[in-house]
Amino acid sequence: MLRYILHRLAVLIPMLFGVSVVVFLMLRLGRGDPALDYLRLSQIPPTDAALLDARHLLGLDRPLLEQYGVWLGKAFQLDFGISYVTRRPVLDEILYYLPATLELAGVALILTLAVSVPLGVWAALNREGLPDHIVRGIAFTGVSVPNFWLGFLLVLCFSVWLGWLPPLGRGGIERLVMPAVTVSLMSLAINARLLRASMLEVAGQRHVLYARLRGLPERQVIGRHVFHNALLPVVTAVGMHIGELIGGTLVVENIFGWPGLGRFAVAAIYSRDYPVLQCFTLLMTGIFVLCNLAVDILYAWLDPRIRVAAVENAA
Amino acid sequence: MRLLSRFCMVATVVAAVSAWSTGAPAADRTVTFSWAGNVGQLNPHMYSPNQMFAQDMVYESLVRYVAGGRIEPWLAKSWDISPDGKVYTFHLRDDVVFSDGQPFNAEAVKRNIDAVLANRTRHAWLELIAQIDAVDILDPFAVRLTLKGPYYPVLQELALIRPLRFLSPAAIPESGSTVDGIKAPIGTGPWKLVETKRGEYDLFAVNERYWGPKPKIERVLVKVIPDPNTRAIAFETGEIDLIFGIEGQISPDTFARFAAQKRYTTGISESMGTRSLALNSYRGATREVDVRRAVNHAIDKDAIVANILYGIQPKADTLFARNFPYADIGLQAYVHDPAMAARLLDAAGWTLAPGATVRMKKGELLRLEFCFVGSDAQEKAMAEVIQANLAKVGIDVILLGEEKNSFYARQRGGSFDMIFSNTWGAPYDPHSFVSSMRVPSHADYQAQRGLPMKADIDRKIADVLVSVDETKRQALYKDILTILHEQAVYVPISYVTSIMVHGPKLANVGFGATKHEMPFNALTLN
Repeated sequence: MLRYILHRLAVLIPMLFGVSVVVFLMLRLGRGDPALDYLRLSQIPPTDAALLDARHLLGLDRPLLEQYGVWLGKAFQLDFGISYVTRRPVLDEILYYLPATLELAGVALILTLAVSVPLGVWAALNREGLPDHIVRGIAFTGVSVPNFWLGFLLVLCFSVWLGWLPPLGRGGIERLVMPAVTVSLMSLAINARLLRASMLEVAGQRHVLYARLRGLPERQVIGRHVFHNALLPVVTAVGMHIGELIGGTLVVENIFGWPGLGRFAVAAIYSRDYPVLQCFTLLMTGIFVLCNLAVDILYAWLDPRIRVAAVENAA
Repeated sequence: MRLLSRFCMVATVVAAVSAWSTGAPAADRTVTFSWAGNVGQLNPHMYSPNQMFAQDMVYESLVRYVAGGRIEPWLAKSWDISPDGKVYTFHLRDDVVFSDGQPFNAEAVKRNIDAVLANRTRHAWLELIAQIDAVDILDPFAVRLTLKGPYYPVLQELALIRPLRFLSPAAIPESGSTVDGIKAPIGTGPWKLVETKRGEYDLFAVNERYWGPKPKIERVLVKVIPDPNTRAIAFETGEIDLIFGIEGQISPDTFARFAAQKRYTTGISESMGTRSLALNSYRGATREVDVRRAVNHAIDKDAIVANILYGIQPKADTLFARNFPYADIGLQAYVHDPAMAARLLDAAGWTLAPGATVRMKKGELLRLEFCFVGSDAQEKAMAEVIQANLAKVGIDVILLGEEKNSFYARQRGGSFDMIFSNTWGAPYDPHSFVSSMRVPSHADYQAQRGLPMKADIDRKIADVLVSVDETKRQALYKDILTILHEQAVYVPISYVTSIMVHGPKLANVGFGATKHEMPFNALTLN
């Protein structure tokens, strides 16, 4: 098993290298000029001389290969350069804003699981009954509503009309509720439906029938034999949801003035802050890969069949 | 179910931890404002990410620009100018100290100006920096500025927010240069930056050592809110007390909604600049002056002002509003008159064939490319109205909405027929803006490039900037602005204004002479 994990971690290195090359080239092959954005933000008229000076300041006057080489060399020492806009070290900025994003995504994940699991179970136990229809309605709405729109609706309702919750900023659970709900609704909806379908599928299998024939109490049949087995696909989905939730914070942080990495990255996109975007993409790649690895390990732990296959593959 | 209870436990713990972290500080005599980002390190000699409104709160200049373009004494109580306009002697106030207790004197002035001059390339956009030859200390409170040649807007450019304001000598790094940063943001202004929390807020407190009238409030908390809709909601829910500034703070329709509510006080400033279109005299059909004049007559600015700008910005008829220096010269507006536009086009040989919707001349369609920032909803709406206006007189307009970077690249390179091009506003208008018309990387140069008298215009601009005779200067400005108006290279659309919205908590909120001046010095709390 350890060998399998090490194998997966080793794959991460060439993957990050590949991503860094692609992102580096994609940013620079576009038409835009970060020096022009720098001057715009500085409110300096973009004369040719000013542009030359700005390009020199930002290190954009060197050949592309040299720029990449310098960046890569420093990146190995965890120096991802200086932000074009804030003029601070990129890694310092990203690590500064990351906890707020992880807090939001983490709470959203907990919310997703805490709500979707009971909903899915409730719907499965009452198939075609009223609860099933209610959950179906929630799921349908959750998948259809874009999160930025939901965010504004929540603010309008709970901040402007009712005055119950503050509309923006970080600090205190009251400022966390609306962003977390907004980020999690879609994952929550998908998860509830998935668990319902998975429960129904497992419930139709023979081992459940035999469990009932053995005279086990219904509570135990559902809890141990249906629910446990039905969780497998949900675990896979949660791996995906973590990425989705972090991606969702990009938009939601801007709506709720949440001082996290998403808002910082969106600002960097608008101002072509290449060093920030490069580091951000690498970090996100790392998080996605590690989350998926964690899910795979969890999966293997839950299901011995997968464990055996994974070890054989790695060998 | 055990699983469920575990989830609940974890959720409660996370909630408790997040409730533990505290929000932004607040106090009774604090006014809360918002800005799109943090204010930066507040290096008075540098640009992005330092925010100009905040630099203006903390640092002061030798002289001050006031409404109407007049210059008043500030840290310098008086000055003498040599007859040839090359030597300026400033007599400094002797009662000024920096917020760290360091005295403000000739030595401090020289060290600051030297720090700026050590970095001339970065400030090359500002002519004064290129013109300064030497700074000499005459006595502890007198400084002499010697120029390489006469340059009349010296005082106007000394009044700018950056780069010629004064940092405490104790905060200047040992190298004497401020280009790579400063030790601390210490100025002579009424405010001190006391706390910055990245991505969340900046907090300013009154400078107890301030030499002038002290502000009536104690603190200004500037929250970071990049999104205009979020800002509007923050205001409505009491998270911020004041919305203030030029375009982009909130949308015009949101402003109109606030203005309609009795519980809020709203205000609109005098003109602070001009939103205009530049027509390219070097390319396509706009090479012809009659086509440019026809475009001017065809556009219905009243409709744009009423329906897109909600009346927040008045209609513009000339490149500079009359409240700007040298701009009140009685130019005749191009009135909205589609029939006149059609006659001009007919006379120029651009005729409309029976049944056709687009005019032609020698087999060429009258088609213009109009460039704007695609993500700017306001510019897009204006561009669509203008497209419809011009279609009525037989001009086909192709809308090119692009992102900002491409848009500015088009301005620089002249690859447009029509493009949004705003003036720089007070205190740069008219002198700095007119000066930039000579530089190829500006939309104005590109637009004027095809004019037969372009060389003459540039010569007049060069003359006006070095002219020390006020009457001659007026005459030259009149010539320059009249030629540009008659040649119709611009379509002035509206005069840009600042807006303010606040609730009953605040009083005495007034506008400054430039768009970066905030009202915190005179503002009072009810």
